[in-house]
Amino acid sequence: MCLGIPGRVVERRNDRGLPMGMVDFGGVKRECCLAYVADEVLPGDYVVVHVGFAIAKVAEEEARRTFEVLREMSQLEELDWMREVADQGLSGLEGGAARPAEAATSEPAP
Amino acid sequence: MPLSDTLRVQLGHGSGGKLSAQLLRDRFLPRFDNPILARLTDAAVVSVAGGEVAISTDTFVVSPLEFPGGNIGALAVHGTLNDLAMMGARPRHLAAGFVLEEGLGFDLLDRIIATMADAVREAGVALVTGDTKVVERGKAGDGLFITTTGIGDLEPGFRPSPDRAAVGDLVLVSGPIARHGMAIMAAREGLGFETTIESDTACLVPLVERLRERVGESVHVLRDPTRGGLASALNEIAQVAGVGVVLDERALPVPGPVFAACEILGLDPLYVANEGVLVALVDAKAAEAALGALQGHPLGAEAALVGKVVRDHPRMVVMRTGLGGSRVVDLLPGDQLPRIC
Amino acid sequence: MKYLSEYRDPAVARALIQRIKTSATRPWTLMEVCGGQTHTIVRQGLDELLGDAVEMIHGPGCPVCVTPLEQIDKALALAARPDVIFTSFGDMLRVPGSECDLQQIRSRGGTVRVVYSPLDALELATRNPDKQVVFFAVGFETTAPANAMAVWRAKELGVGNFSVLVSHVTVPPAMTAILDAPDNRVQGFLAAGHVCTVMGWKEYEPIAARYKVPIIVTGFEPVDILEGMLLCVLQLEQGRHEVENQYVRSVRREGTRPARELVERVFTLVDRKWRGIGEIPRSGLALRAEFADFDAELRFGLGDMHVSEPAECMAGDVLRGKIKPHQCPAFGTLCTPERPLGAPMVSSEGACAAYYNYGRLRTGAGAARA
Repeated sequence: MCLGIPGRVVERRNDRGLPMGMVDFGGVKRECCLAYVADEVLPGDYVVVHVGFAIAKVAEEEARRTFEVLREMSQLEELDWMREVADQGLSGLEGGAARPAEAATSEPAP
Repeated sequence: MPLSDTLRVQLGHGSGGKLSAQLLRDRFLPRFDNPILARLTDAAVVSVAGGEVAISTDTFVVSPLEFPGGNIGALAVHGTLNDLAMMGARPRHLAAGFVLEEGLGFDLLDRIIATMADAVREAGVALVTGDTKVVERGKAGDGLFITTTGIGDLEPGFRPSPDRAAVGDLVLVSGPIARHGMAIMAAREGLGFETTIESDTACLVPLVERLRERVGESVHVLRDPTRGGLASALNEIAQVAGVGVVLDERALPVPGPVFAACEILGLDPLYVANEGVLVALVDAKAAEAALGALQGHPLGAEAALVGKVVRDHPRMVVMRTGLGGSRVVDLLPGDQLPRIC
Repeated sequence: MKYLSEYRDPAVARALIQRIKTSATRPWTLMEVCGGQTHTIVRQGLDELLGDAVEMIHGPGCPVCVTPLEQIDKALALAARPDVIFTSFGDMLRVPGSECDLQQIRSRGGTVRVVYSPLDALELATRNPDKQVVFFAVGFETTAPANAMAVWRAKELGVGNFSVLVSHVTVPPAMTAILDAPDNRVQGFLAAGHVCTVMGWKEYEPIAARYKVPIIVTGFEPVDILEGMLLCVLQLEQGRHEVENQYVRSVRREGTRPARELVERVFTLVDRKWRGIGEIPRSGLALRAEFADFDAELRFGLGDMHVSEPAECMAGDVLRGKIKPHQCPAFGTLCTPERPLGAPMVSSEGACAAYYNYGRLRTGAGAARA
C-alpha cells in the first residue's frame, strides 16, 4: 500500500517493553515503533515506515545492486538515443524526453 | 447525500481553496457589492482627500501561538505589511485589534507584543491605534486572535495587480516554499515530529523595493502565497487574468527537510502556506534583472525562475513534471490533510 | 531522501519508458492494485508517456474508497457522541457517508482528531481518561500490524477508554474477484509493494498459476512502477506467468513475520463488503473474541445501519476497472472533489480524484471550472 517512507534509525529505546526508535527521514525525525524489526535493526540501518511503524528493514545491498542495473540500462538507452539523433540530424528537441546529459538526481534544492 | 454545502461554516472555508472562494463569493460579496471589493486584491486602493492610499486588513488565528521561527505577532505584522507591498504600496501605519482569552499567560502575551514591536520598528512603520477585548475561557481558540489593518502610500507608476498578468510573463519566487506550513504541522500535537524547519515569516517590503527600483513597471503581479500555498496564489491570478500558467517542477525550491516532511505526511508542497515568500509575474525582458534584484538581498538569496504565463489552457495552472509529463495543479476544495494512502 | 529520491531519476525513468515501448510487440492491459501507485501514475503522467504500449486499468487498492458505507455511518454516529474523541487518519475525513462526512460532524460539535499513527490515538486515550477515544482502524494488510499493536498495547496497559472501529480489507481476494469477472481484461498485475512488505508474496503464487497472469510486486516511485511494468511486459511477451519482485529493497518472500504474527493474534478473517463492489468472502479482518472489549461496535452497541448511495455514483465500475473516471457521466459535473458523490473522488489516491486533479488536460474535461 501507500505511504511507506524510508528513514535511518538514529537511536533505539524501550517504552515499557515496546521497542521504539528515533528515525531520521532526510532531516525530519520522528519516533517510530520498531517492534516488527527489533531483531534485525541497529542504529544506522534504514527502515520502511508506515503510520509510525517500521514494517521492514531496507535491503541496502539489494537496492544498490538493482539500481546499478537500472543505471547501466539507462546509459545504454541514452547511447541509443544519441545515435538516433545523430542519424536523423535532429537538434533542440523539446520537452522531457530529449536531454541525455541531464543530471541524474531529482533531489530538490536544499 | 453528503455534499460540502451545509448550513454551517467548516474548517475548509478557511483554507484558501475553493470553499474559501465560495464563502466570499456567495455570502460576503453580494452584500458589500462595490467595484473596489470586487477586485479581491490583497490591499485596496482608495481615494482620500489629497490622493489615493492602499489599505489592507488580515486576521490571525494560528495554533500554536508560538512555533519555530516566530509567533502569531510576527505573522500579524508581516502579513498586513506584505499585503500592502504586494499592491506596490509603501506601508506607513498599522492598527491592531486583539481578542484575548481569559487565562492567557502574560509571559506569552509579552513575548508576542515584543515580537510585534520589533517587526514594526524594523519595517519603519508605527502602530498608531488598537483595541483589546477579553473573552471567557474557551472562546478564543488557543488564547489569542489578532487583526491588523495597514495603510500605505502608493508609488507612482508601480501598480502590480493580478489582472496585469500577460502571456509571456515569467514567474519568479523569492525563496524556498512550504516552510511556514510545515513548521506549524511539525509543532502540532498528534503529528509531532522533530525538525529544523522554521517558519519563513518576514517583511517583504525590502524585496519589493528592490524590484521597483530595478525593473519598475515590468513587475506585473506580486503576490504573497500564504494559506493555500503557491498553487492557490497562481490559480487565483490565472483566473482573474484569464491566462494559463506553466510551472517547472524541477525549478521549485523546496528545502530538503520540508520535502521529507511532506513525503511522510503525504502533502504537496505546492499547497503549503508561506509567510516570507513572494511570487512575481514579470515581463520576460526584465526577468533576469528582477531575479538579480531579488537574489541581491538575503531574503531573496534563493530566488528562482519557476514558470511562465501562456495562452494555452486559460485559467488553469499546469506543471511539467521531472519526467516530462504534465499534470494540472488545481485549487483544492479545502485544507490538505495528512494521509496514509 | 535516500532510497526514495533516486527512484524519481528522470533519466532512468525515460530509459524504462523506452524499453517498455520497444519490448511490447502488442498493446498489453495491466492493473496496478494500489491507490498509491495510481497516484504516481496519473500525477507523473506515466500513462500519457507510455502511449499505446501499455493500458493501465486502475485497481480497487484504495482502502479509503472501499470502506463500506455502513462503517462510515458508524464512524459518524460515534464521532457525534459528546463523550467520544473520534480519531482517524486524515484520508477518512471527507469520505461521504449517507448524510455527511466526519469534517461536517466536527463543524456540528463532534470532536474529531487527525492522527498520524494508531499509537497517537492510544496516547490520547491515556491523557483523556474522562473521554472515550475511538480509533478508525482502516486499511489494507499494510496498516493491520500498526492497528493490531494499538489494540494489543491497550489491553497490555489496561487503557480502558480506548476502542477501535475496524474496517480492514485484504488484497488477494479482490484480485481474484477481478480475475473471475467475465468481462475481465487485465492481463498482468502490479501488486501492492507495501502490502507485500508485510505479507510477502507467497499467497500470490497460486493466483499467478491458476489464472496465468504475471504478478510483479512493485513499489511506488516512478522508477519502481516503470520497472514493474517492464518486468510484466517482458513476462507477457515471453508467455510466462510468475510472481516477480521489483521492490527488492523492501519486500521478501516471507514478508515481515513478527507483523503477520501479531495481526493473526489480534484479528481474524471475515467476509467483507467492499463499497461499490459488493461482498467478497474472507476479504476482511475483524477483532478476535479475546479483544472484543476493544471493539467500538460492541462497546457502543452499534447495530446495522440503513445506508443510501447516490444513484449517479459509478464508483463500483471505476474500482473494478470497467470504466475510467472521466467516462462516468457525473465526473467533473455532479461529482467533483468539493462535492464528491463517492469515495474515489475524495481520497487523494482514488482514481477519480487523481484524474480530476492531475489528468484533466488529457481527458478533455479541462474546460470545466467550478
